[in-house]
Amino acid sequence: MIIQPSFFTRWVSLSPRILISLLLVPVAAGLLGLILPAFGWLPALGENTINLRGFAAFFHTPGWTNMLGLSFFTSFISTLFAVILSILILGNYFNSRLLGHIQRILGPILVIPHAAAAIAIGFLIAPSGLIMRLFSPWLSGAELPPDVLLPNDPYGLSIILGLTLKELPFILLMALAAMQQNEIKQLINRQYKMALSLGYYPFTAFCKAVLPSLYPFMRLPIYAILAYSSASIEIPLILGPNSPPTLAVAVMQWFNDVDLSLRIKASAGALIQIALTLSVLLTWRLLEQCVKRFGFSTFTNGRRQYGDLCWKILTHTTTFLVLFFIVLALLGLVLWSFAGFWPFPNAYPDQLVSLHWNSALQQLPQTITNTVLVGITATAIALFFTLFALEAEQQHQTQLGSAASLMVYLPLLVPNVAFLFGIVWVKELLGVKAVFSAVVLGHLLFVMPYMFLSLAISYRKLDLRYAKVAASLGCSPFKVFYAVKLPQLLPPMLFSCALGLAVSFGQYLPTLLLGGGRINTLTTEAVAIASGASRRLSAVYVIIQILLPVVGFILAWLIPKLIFRPRQ
Amino acid sequence: MRVMENKPSYLIFMWILLLFCPLISAQGALKTLKTLKTLEPLKAPLLIDTQAIDTKASVTQTQFTQLVQQARGQSVYFYAWGGDPQVNRYLQWVAQRVNTLYAINMQHVKLAQTSDAVSRVLAEASAGNTTAGQVDLLWINGLNFATMAQNNLLEAQWLGLLPNFALTNPDQNPAVTMDFGMPTNGMEAPWGKAALTFYYDSAHTSSPPKTLPALLRWSKLNPGRFTYAKPPDFLGLSFLKYALIILSQQQEPAILAQLYEPPTAQSQALVLAPLWQFLDQLHPYLWRKGQYFLSNGASIRRLVDDSELTLGFTFSGGDIPGAVERFELPLSIKSYAMKDGSLSNVHFVTIPFNAQHKAAAKVVANFLMSPEAQAKKQQPSNWGDRTVLDLSMLSPEQQLMFHPSKRHPSALPANNSSPSLSEPHPSWNAVITTQWEKRYGAKQ
Repeated sequence: MIIQPSFFTRWVSLSPRILISLLLVPVAAGLLGLILPAFGWLPALGENTINLRGFAAFFHTPGWTNMLGLSFFTSFISTLFAVILSILILGNYFNSRLLGHIQRILGPILVIPHAAAAIAIGFLIAPSGLIMRLFSPWLSGAELPPDVLLPNDPYGLSIILGLTLKELPFILLMALAAMQQNEIKQLINRQYKMALSLGYYPFTAFCKAVLPSLYPFMRLPIYAILAYSSASIEIPLILGPNSPPTLAVAVMQWFNDVDLSLRIKASAGALIQIALTLSVLLTWRLLEQCVKRFGFSTFTNGRRQYGDLCWKILTHTTTFLVLFFIVLALLGLVLWSFAGFWPFPNAYPDQLVSLHWNSALQQLPQTITNTVLVGITATAIALFFTLFALEAEQQHQTQLGSAASLMVYLPLLVPNVAFLFGIVWVKELLGVKAVFSAVVLGHLLFVMPYMFLSLAISYRKLDLRYAKVAASLGCSPFKVFYAVKLPQLLPPMLFSCALGLAVSFGQYLPTLLLGGGRINTLTTEAVAIASGASRRLSAVYVIIQILLPVVGFILAWLIPKLIFRPRQ
Repeated sequence: MRVMENKPSYLIFMWILLLFCPLISAQGALKTLKTLKTLEPLKAPLLIDTQAIDTKASVTQTQFTQLVQQARGQSVYFYAWGGDPQVNRYLQWVAQRVNTLYAINMQHVKLAQTSDAVSRVLAEASAGNTTAGQVDLLWINGLNFATMAQNNLLEAQWLGLLPNFALTNPDQNPAVTMDFGMPTNGMEAPWGKAALTFYYDSAHTSSPPKTLPALLRWSKLNPGRFTYAKPPDFLGLSFLKYALIILSQQQEPAILAQLYEPPTAQSQALVLAPLWQFLDQLHPYLWRKGQYFLSNGASIRRLVDDSELTLGFTFSGGDIPGAVERFELPLSIKSYAMKDGSLSNVHFVTIPFNAQHKAAAKVVANFLMSPEAQAKKQQPSNWGDRTVLDLSMLSPEQQLMFHPSKRHPSALPANNSSPSLSEPHPSWNAVITTQWEKRYGAKQ
């Protein structure tokens, strides 16, 4: 395609670079703002020498090995569980209608912010939680809640539960999205049918013939999840132990400590966090290699089944349990948000009141406006650059190189405790006062990757013949983009905007740090309330936190239906 | 289609808005400067004319009038812990009032912990930001105050400018100028008084412990029904300090006196040993057998509501009836003060050295000490935080505002007398925290 250089085409070919630098520059600046203090350079405290004091202080922290171990194993094991569960569900329900149902149920779970999910799970599994109440006193005999160590157990089991439940929908939906791409769909369907016709049992056929082709498309999401969960804050903060906590939580607490000299130790800890995340990723890579190496003979040994019936039953049970758990968690939230007095063994509150909703709604309008305003601005900017970057791909008929795609993923792969504190430091150093735009920029770092990934699939799938016809009829590239491509892309664009909004709504650390507490969003308020005494108010906040992104997705689903309604 | 057409124009609008924000605030600053210039010549003669005996008061009054003028139209970012809906609601009311009275736009920035704001001010200081800090007003006391004062992060000598400060009768009430034994030197304004108050669920125990030794006996009889939050949590530390003072009282007077001096290696070993002995006995009978401690003392109330705990404690005793009213604690809750003493302290508001809106922050601090705001705060249904004002300094009508309506069944009985235990020197906090962490912190 020969393209006349115009303002539009020049802008388009520039935009991938702008997009990458919007992501790369803050992360790099943030890392720099971390490395200097980590090696002892913090002029504010009169520290002007390069030394290893921070690391020495870190290795003198009581229980630092436990911290590292906890971060490593909770993230690794929860991801492993989530991947195994996804494979079970995908394999056993492959090509069945159930898969669509599960996708529809789990989709909304994906948009529940981590803080909200953690609070909901905490309500459920505590000794006085809904599960215990359902079985008390008739089964457990408990008139008072038992004194057991859940949640916040020292082994991180509650963290693993929380992370697994949050990761499962993500991996599953990413795999399903890959499976719906035309060429992959055809390939795996062919192979699956072939395997079945050769007498393989369905689940074995899936594992041997489909999974090897599918896994490469799941790899990047899995890595993102490993990286995220090894450094996540909200779930370990709410469900995890505190003596010691996970590394990321400890680092955050040191950064916020009154004792300002802890900053140096915190920076060193954040660098160690990066090393830890890398080692989790490398261990996973090693696991992949082992499976590939030792599993190869199993894949090709021709055995037609491995207790497929057992796997099927196992899948049915776990899927049911997961769904039951989620439904119960949501139900618990709703009950708490309306609960009057609710003494222990009762599974239902003594009375339902709207007091908590009233008092929350009085305080909320400003918060919701902030949340939505930041979300919409970040999403709009992200959409703008994402569309042009993808258009550039099409005009130049190249896909982003692997290095460039990795950079899009960068903010998701680098632990955010690591670079966000650095950004705050740099921001202070430059004397930037802007609060709103700083928060928007911070959100952009996380909104943009998700929107790019979700939109890229549809953009690359776009049937280019329409565009070619339009171009051959003399349309300018701008007009082709604007009048032919965008209308075709409306549904995925709206979906990706809803996703971007959901990601923005859920951001805790970027809002808190870059906004300096001046911009309260639902998530920062929810975490602040969760630190207080009122479980009922906390439940109200969590429900609103869940509803807001859901509204976004409903709009994304509704608008195309209204616009493209067949004319009477 | 329509959606896309609107986006660029929306974006342009946003960017224009962003560009204009600094301009708008710059205009505000200009206006303040102008007011300042016009005011000074006007007010100067007044200063000379006043009678000697009233000079101090009227100087204060004049300077305060100037402050009010400057503050008009300013925003105040009030950084305060946001974990309690009752306190948040009270601050919303304050925001409305200062807006009506002084045209000040007060924003409550809700903190999960006060140290977040302290580290923010430090970060600003280290980046050379000395005039445009984000924190205008900060709710603070104890260690956070000590840290900020030591690092010269606070605005100096402004308390004398506030007319309502005289109502606390500072000459007779040294508590309002001492923060955990450290003189405040006019760097913070007293806001409220708190004392450690215990509460229990009378449905599960009829004889709550009234002294520290009784607490140990009670815990052995009711294992797993009491806990405290791990230091450096404010409430957890308060419990430890209560125990420490009571245990030291049982020894020579010289040992107790050590608590009010900065700790030395010697005094640490001497004073803390009985505390660790006591805790070693108590911990096996605590909630979760003392293997897990809450990070946040406020969560104790939630656990009492869940019946996981039977006995809890708080620093704002007035909070308990309010919580029952909101269904957050059962009707069977009763409050009481320990017979052997209640740890008491005053909490303050302060202004960082680099606050951007100092004038308005001072006016808000003055309003917080006004009879109106203090009386409202003391009502159990609003917050129940005790006033710092000396009621004898007020007019009879003003005094009337402080008299409680009917006592709530869950509130502290009026006749419940308990000796007031004053806070140890603030440096003990860090010592207790580190030593506690070493003994009970990082174990599996």
